[in-house]
Amino acid sequence: MSEEVEPREAAASRDGGAMIECRGVEKWFGKFAALRGIDLDVDLQEVVVIVGPSGSGKSTFIRCINRLEKHDRGRIAVDGIEVTDDIRHIQEIRREVGMVFQSFNLFPHLTVMDNVSLGPRQVRRWSKDKAEGVAMELLERVHIPEQAHKYPGQLSGGQQQRAAIARALAMQPRVMLFDEPTSALDPEMIKEVLDVMKELALSGMTMIVVSHEIGFAKEVADRVAMFDQGKLVEEGTPDRFFSDPQHERTKLFLSQIL
Amino acid sequence: MESVDRMPMVEEPEPSGPPVREIGLGQWMRENLFNTWYNTVLTIVFGVIMAWALFASLRFVFVNGRWEVVRRNLTLLLVERFPRDQLWRPWAALFILTITVALFLGASAAARRGDPVRERPPLTPVEIVRRMWPLGVLAAALLLLSSGILPIVLVVALFAAALGARLAGERLPGWLTRARFLLLVVGGVATFEVVIAFGGQGWERWGGLMLLLFLAVGAIALSFPLGVLLALGRRSRLPAFRLVSTVYIELIRGVPLITLLFMGAFMLGFFFPVGFPRPSLVVRALIALILFTAAYVAEVVRGGLQSIPYAQIEAAQALGLSPTKVTRLVVLPQALRAVIPALVGQFISLWKDVALVSIIGLSEVLSIAQRITQQTDFRAQGLQAEVLAFAGFVYWVGAYWMSRESQRLEKRLGVGER
Repeated sequence: MSEEVEPREAAASRDGGAMIECRGVEKWFGKFAALRGIDLDVDLQEVVVIVGPSGSGKSTFIRCINRLEKHDRGRIAVDGIEVTDDIRHIQEIRREVGMVFQSFNLFPHLTVMDNVSLGPRQVRRWSKDKAEGVAMELLERVHIPEQAHKYPGQLSGGQQQRAAIARALAMQPRVMLFDEPTSALDPEMIKEVLDVMKELALSGMTMIVVSHEIGFAKEVADRVAMFDQGKLVEEGTPDRFFSDPQHERTKLFLSQIL
Repeated sequence: MESVDRMPMVEEPEPSGPPVREIGLGQWMRENLFNTWYNTVLTIVFGVIMAWALFASLRFVFVNGRWEVVRRNLTLLLVERFPRDQLWRPWAALFILTITVALFLGASAAARRGDPVRERPPLTPVEIVRRMWPLGVLAAALLLLSSGILPIVLVVALFAAALGARLAGERLPGWLTRARFLLLVVGGVATFEVVIAFGGQGWERWGGLMLLLFLAVGAIALSFPLGVLLALGRRSRLPAFRLVSTVYIELIRGVPLITLLFMGAFMLGFFFPVGFPRPSLVVRALIALILFTAAYVAEVVRGGLQSIPYAQIEAAQALGLSPTKVTRLVVLPQALRAVIPALVGQFISLWKDVALVSIIGLSEVLSIAQRITQQTDFRAQGLQAEVLAFAGFVYWVGAYWMSRESQRLEKRLGVGER
């Protein structure tokens, strides 16, 4: 990191509580209950992997954390800031929470460098030089510095996803959300993205990862949580979760994907 | 049985690029024009028709055309009644405008230098000719119809000034390169002032090609931002904006341009408070053209906005960008790029629609062309073909040049597009 950029304090969240706090979170799409009362806390520097069948509400849940979806009931707080309708709170939370999407969602009209430096320049109001310096360091960290001056369309899927990770990190978030980051990738590119995510986890980033990469979960996760039909049915350390699942639904699910 | 890795190594020839197939013109014609009997018949029939059309056109332009009517009225067609002792003013304006634009383009090229993404290969003579030849053809045609040595000298000087300013623009001092947009504004204002100020002629008295250019450029420059605002308004979350934009667009699009021009001429004055100076007819025509085109631009841009996947907006929101910045930095640039062809189509349409202002009594090229056939020297001689060909040619050059430039822009912005 360049000198101007203060390294983040590796301490508890501002109010001393959990980094992410969720209590009784509900989300309805019309009459369909996508989330039916989720309670989940994520501590600072913790890595939580969420698994579950499609339609179980995993993505909806993490999208509620930075208000890409509006939850209908319950409480979500990030770093002590509650997610409410207040646009200032939402903006503040979005500055602290980075997100990586299944389909990368890089901005196709900007180069990789501009994609990564856009947030810091526009939101944190850094100078062009400072933002591009940090962006270059991040591109080195995700091992694609040579792609900086290309457009997203000229990159492979794995490179695009790593650029998207760099874009999220450029805002220096305290939390990273990953929404099935490897599901849209060819098999030989999954590893390069997971490696970057592992390095990130080892560096102490607080992460929530929606993913079916069991190897990643076993190796990196502090906790694994199982979602089904909008409910958190089971959670635990990876060892216990994969070797001795308690819930019938978890057993069935694991038997299908392992 | 021998294992695979024991197999004798075969020297793999280095691939030397895709196979190149060279065929002569005769071969190509045999394969494409005369490959079957019916293709041969079609080739001959259409060949004869095309040859005849070409021959007839060339004969009209160079042999039979009685261009005296255009020749004698050339100044009228270009600037209408502009006082003949002040013709230096439009010439000066032309020079200032050309030099300003060329300086700006040169400075832009200099600003891009060293940028790994935006730098372009240096401008070659071939490239200049390829981009500018329609304007060159117009200049040549006008010179052929002009008399005396002065116009030739001035046009040559104009092209030389353009080239010189383009090259000089690349060598401007750094601060001026950064201030190039200001330079453009200053040059634009100077272009107007040299015609208008200090006893010149205000645009309410302009006519001919000069009026055509003024109305077209003014309407394009102002209808574009208005159209973008209307498109954004129609998709706004605030019902008031949405309502106003929708009503405006649907109202204006439902009315012929001629109606708007008449309303501009006869009704717009009612909207101005008593005592407020009524804008001139030219300005009222300009307002009508702007209002009309903005509605179409809005719908074109709205189409572009709708083509942007919602995931792009979410990604920008997740970074913490404010709603305004999401639109300005992520949505609009992509949306506008997607609709360049339709947008330029709209502007080409506008360029030709300017011909309609003759209905409310303004004199652009087409109406003057019609009028000069009534002059005593040329009356009842069937000169419609000549004057219409001339007016059509002037409009065609502008439209075709815009079309080519838009294709170039599309190609350039398409780099790295998904």
